[in-house]
Amino acid sequence: MIELAELHDSAQKAFPADKLMPERDTSWALAAEMGWLMIELPEDQGGLGLTRQAAAAIHYELGKVLSSAPLIPAMLALRGIAGAADFAARDEWIERICCGEYVPLNMLPARIEAGADGKSNGTVPGLFDADMASHVLVGCGGAYHLVPLDAPGVRLVERKLWDQSRRVFDLVLEEARLDANTLVADGALAASLHDDIARSAHLFLAADSLGGATAALEMTIDFLKMRKQFDRPLAMFQALKHRCADLKTQVVAAEALLWSRATGAEQVSVTDLGAMKALATDVYRRVTEEMIQLHGGIGLTDEHPCHQFMKRAMLNLQLCGGLDHWREAAGRAALRQ
Amino acid sequence: MKLVGAGYAVPHWPEQWPGGGRSLAEQKVIYEELARADSPRLLLSFVSTYHAASTLMECGSDEQRARYLPAILRGETWCQGFSEPGAGSDLAAIKTKAELRGDHYVVSGQKVWSTMAQYADKCLLLVRTSSDGPKQAGITFLLMDMKAKGVSVRPINQIQGDEEFCEIFLDDVEVPVSDRVGEEGKGWVVAQTTLSSERGLTLMELSYRMKGALNRAADLIRQNKRQDDVGVLREFGKLVTQVDAACAIADKFLENRIGGVERIGDASIVKNSYSSALRAYAAFGVNVGGIEEQYRAPITFGDLNTGNWMADFMNSYAWTIAGGSEEVQRNIIAERMLEMPREPKSWVL
Repeated sequence: MIELAELHDSAQKAFPADKLMPERDTSWALAAEMGWLMIELPEDQGGLGLTRQAAAAIHYELGKVLSSAPLIPAMLALRGIAGAADFAARDEWIERICCGEYVPLNMLPARIEAGADGKSNGTVPGLFDADMASHVLVGCGGAYHLVPLDAPGVRLVERKLWDQSRRVFDLVLEEARLDANTLVADGALAASLHDDIARSAHLFLAADSLGGATAALEMTIDFLKMRKQFDRPLAMFQALKHRCADLKTQVVAAEALLWSRATGAEQVSVTDLGAMKALATDVYRRVTEEMIQLHGGIGLTDEHPCHQFMKRAMLNLQLCGGLDHWREAAGRAALRQ
Repeated sequence: MKLVGAGYAVPHWPEQWPGGGRSLAEQKVIYEELARADSPRLLLSFVSTYHAASTLMECGSDEQRARYLPAILRGETWCQGFSEPGAGSDLAAIKTKAELRGDHYVVSGQKVWSTMAQYADKCLLLVRTSSDGPKQAGITFLLMDMKAKGVSVRPINQIQGDEEFCEIFLDDVEVPVSDRVGEEGKGWVVAQTTLSSERGLTLMELSYRMKGALNRAADLIRQNKRQDDVGVLREFGKLVTQVDAACAIADKFLENRIGGVERIGDASIVKNSYSSALRAYAAFGVNVGGIEEQYRAPITFGDLNTGNWMADFMNSYAWTIAGGSEEVQRNIIAERMLEMPREPKSWVL
């Protein structure tokens, strides 16, 4: 537990709360230098050998400052590559990533059709900051492929996001080859990798969301204490206090669920983690909606950061399965018990 | 009594008591399994095993503990005499008066919302022994015999047909000084101990019972053949996760309390998480159950599942109103945890 507190602490020092959306490339370099990319990698593979919970602690802190460094997709890709025991170039790639090379995993479902001639057509959305990468890890059709971005029939198209803290790309495949040369894992191994990666993805997105929700709520309460109308601080009005108290309750309860499921996540079902991620992102959305409303007019201006939190929350909701998907899955799972 | 014999009745008590000294993990398993098995909550013993026990363990004298705790294990039941007609959310405004005469207090006044007082042997009673100074400073905590002369009880009919709550009328009731908990005028602090046991430990039991009782909601979905209704499944999945979060925050709270790092307002967060999840649970049942739940049916009182979801829905208000309403908890969270300023005390019409 001391270890976790130290991680929170060092992340706060590296990314201080008063600097929102720190510049991407320097943030990325700093994160790599701190060794965060290899935080979960076993020590015999050159990593720090810490738990998923430790990685989630980092994402919680980065969520607070609306980090622009794409650490989540990078950690997911590393987990996929490191787990692919049969992948010939595995060790080389682990080393490249740990040295700071960026390889993202797609965080939205790919739509690819494989032709009879072995060539593929389609789109892989949800590749964050792929402009920084030379290769991307693509999970599709029950397999993982490491695709070089200079391969024939492959091109990146940026999809301009409302969320200004991140950049996202579609990988467009036109008669591109996803074959034995690009294959990282398939079959039963790919299926188990998928679950393993999904567990991390839900924990990390939930941590990012609840870090963001915590920061957004704190900013909102500070604003209400400072802003005076009718000769008193807005924070004195019970109508507003109760809304803040309800948000605090929801954030704290969602956080309790996050950390309880982060401990020994291997034993928690992917559905339970997905449902937890749905709750966390939904709470984040609610906090940021209220953040704008409670800030009044200033919350609608581009120069105030309220909207940045709201845009990030709305995007997090959509990644790795949305609310409807996970609520339905959790309902079905509970019905089977 | 069977639970006492098996050692499952008071798992939250210290280990010198039979059945006590269970780890938190063991307690959770016991509560979840009791709810799954549809075992009735020990409602009559609720105040005695939690409120009375923790008050006596933390603030009582050795002599009081020796006299009352074994009796509680034998099944003696207690009620709580805190609220009054003019003192609900503003509990410190109580008026029931106690006057010291020799070796006993003479108590007169009226209490309300006392759960199961009609069956209780003893009462945790808050009285006013002084009207000077701040209103909290004049409050004293007494243990009163419900069979004493001058005590009369009137059950209150509730919206679901239950008579869980009572009024207690006190007319020159004599309470020995030896039954005072703590010093005279220091009863407010003792009362906080009683209430915090309610917001802490009891909520862990209740949260895990609610988790166990999710299988009742699953049964209802199947009975009504809604298991392929995507809207119902989503709503159910949302509810399950909300209940899981209520359990997680109750766990975290106890962990913090045991570790000595509890913060002001934590207990309020736990209580509001539970009460809103409970309301959502009952509302889900009313919705999925359809018209059937609107017909009056024979119900089992006092349990999370009475057998009728409309009755459960009405019961769920007990937790958003009793033990410090949801609104009072919000004030505590906002003012004492988030440090949002209090409103000015005085007001003029």
